[in-house]
Amino acid sequence: MTERAAVPAPVLEARDIRKVFGTLVALDGAGVSVGAGEIVGLIGPNGSGKSTLLHVISGRTSATGGAVLLGGRDVTHAKPAERIRAGLSIKFQLARVYLDQTVADNLLLAVQSRTGLGSLILSRTRAAAQAPIDELLAQFHLTEQRDMLARELSHGEQQWLEIAMALAVEPSMLLLDEPTAGMSHEERAATGERIRAARARCGVLIVEHDLDFIRGLCDRITVLHQGKIIATGTPAEIEADPRVQEVYLTRV
Amino acid sequence: MRLSLRGQFDARSGGRPVALLIGILVVAPPVLAVLGLEYYTIVLCQALILGILATSADIAWGSTGIFTLGQAVFFGIGGYVVGELAKNLGVTDVVLASIIGLAAGALAGALVGLFLFVGSRVGELYVGLVTLALAFGMERLATGWDLIGSYNGIPGVPGPTLGPIVLEYGWPQFYVLLAIFTLVMLGAYRLNRSQFGLVMRAVRDDGERAEFLGYRRTTVQITVFTITSALAGMAGGLYALEQGFVSPSLLGTTLSTQVLLWVVLGGRGTLVGPLLGLGLVWVVGGRIAEITPQLWPIILGALLLGTILFLPGGLIGRRVVKRSPRVAVAAAATSGAGSGSGAGSSEASHD
Repeated sequence: MTERAAVPAPVLEARDIRKVFGTLVALDGAGVSVGAGEIVGLIGPNGSGKSTLLHVISGRTSATGGAVLLGGRDVTHAKPAERIRAGLSIKFQLARVYLDQTVADNLLLAVQSRTGLGSLILSRTRAAAQAPIDELLAQFHLTEQRDMLARELSHGEQQWLEIAMALAVEPSMLLLDEPTAGMSHEERAATGERIRAARARCGVLIVEHDLDFIRGLCDRITVLHQGKIIATGTPAEIEADPRVQEVYLTRV
Repeated sequence: MRLSLRGQFDARSGGRPVALLIGILVVAPPVLAVLGLEYYTIVLCQALILGILATSADIAWGSTGIFTLGQAVFFGIGGYVVGELAKNLGVTDVVLASIIGLAAGALAGALVGLFLFVGSRVGELYVGLVTLALAFGMERLATGWDLIGSYNGIPGVPGPTLGPIVLEYGWPQFYVLLAIFTLVMLGAYRLNRSQFGLVMRAVRDDGERAEFLGYRRTTVQITVFTITSALAGMAGGLYALEQGFVSPSLLGTTLSTQVLLWVVLGGRGTLVGPLLGLGLVWVVGGRIAEITPQLWPIILGALLLGTILFLPGGLIGRRVVKRSPRVAVAAAATSGAGSGSGAGSSEASHD
């Protein structure tokens, strides 16, 4: 703790994570760390354990071994809600927005998530939540869709709404699981800009298949293969790494 | 707002129909008197009390997704507590009885809620099974327990009073109960429209997602379970005074499943739907049952089956919203552009 003044502790640190499903070793000592304002990419071929690692971090899956630290705090055994309250936020691979609620109400759910029960019952923070909601709507070009049901949005718009919700909880660490899945070229470019804008507020970890997308966006890339980290470095270093080329790049 | 909510009817839109219903109820006693049907004012007194019970089930199951098959347990507990206190200590004031019923229901609800929701992640079905077993067990317990009258229950509970006034059968009781009912409906409406109401629907529609927004699902469920059990307990207390007796069947599975029937039939999570379901099954159906007691259960069964098969949202429930043409066009445009841009953009595979 004393060295924190000299070297800032990473916002997220997953150390030596093991995850075993029956006889299958999904993660075998994998780890990743993200500093404040840093964008880190997590790549690897199908079945390499990317999503498992992401969900060990989010708390959806429990780790068989290893530790997850959020801002230096051990959350390895914390429930998802407690991790979110400790500063984590996640955008799922398939957008999981509330389809039967309006766009504004989806954002309100995210903005008010740390409000106490009594204040929620008495609707004390509804008025104060409008400013951040309006800001997010404008930022993600959803202002006109404000009062629409989320199910009426296009696929790309639902993805954006989900990213906006992930940011609305004001995280210090943002997890993005394939944020551009199913998006058009233009939508992907716009999503990249929004992720870049988010780094001012938090660290970002992106799981992505699309290396083109991740190359221009990330400060560092970590490559997973068969549950192990085989390389970590700048995008240029990763592309030059012969092992990475062997297991990943040639297959795309 | 109006446009985007087309095809949708939930508890937030239930305010106006409920207000209309209360408006009709205000003028009901004189109209019934003119028609020579005074007896129905007493029927409506019971309906108002059961309406509070129906609303409690609608908030728990309809709005929050807590599939409780034991809502009558808390109704019965409220009934027994108020019944004993009224008979032995002369506590017959409706306001006091309401508060006692609320407290008894809340206490029992909080205890059962802790047991139901803390610890393991339990599914909807588990909650249903445990509450069903609870209703069955409580009815058996009350039947066998001499201290609370065993199978006779508590006969001769004194009638309701308001301060020094003794509330007579008919319209005096009716208007006091209507006032309490109106307050409950107003509270339920406000709860559904509150920020917490939004959280309730979020827990119902995707509880895990709500946790990943930072909500403690267990806390939300226990809170709702406590509130709705309190309402059921209050209704039970009023029932004891209004009916003049308490019996083990008030705690049991029959009434518990009846309540769900009102909710299913009318439309769960709609505030007004369960009241209409209650009106249909209990008031109208009750008369049919008097005429043809053999045929009524068959009609009821067919009605329930028909509702589930053809109107899964209930009589006024949420209809399935079809994808609007705008979305279909947008989706087509998105997928078209995606496949045109090359470089494996939309072929996201699942890891």
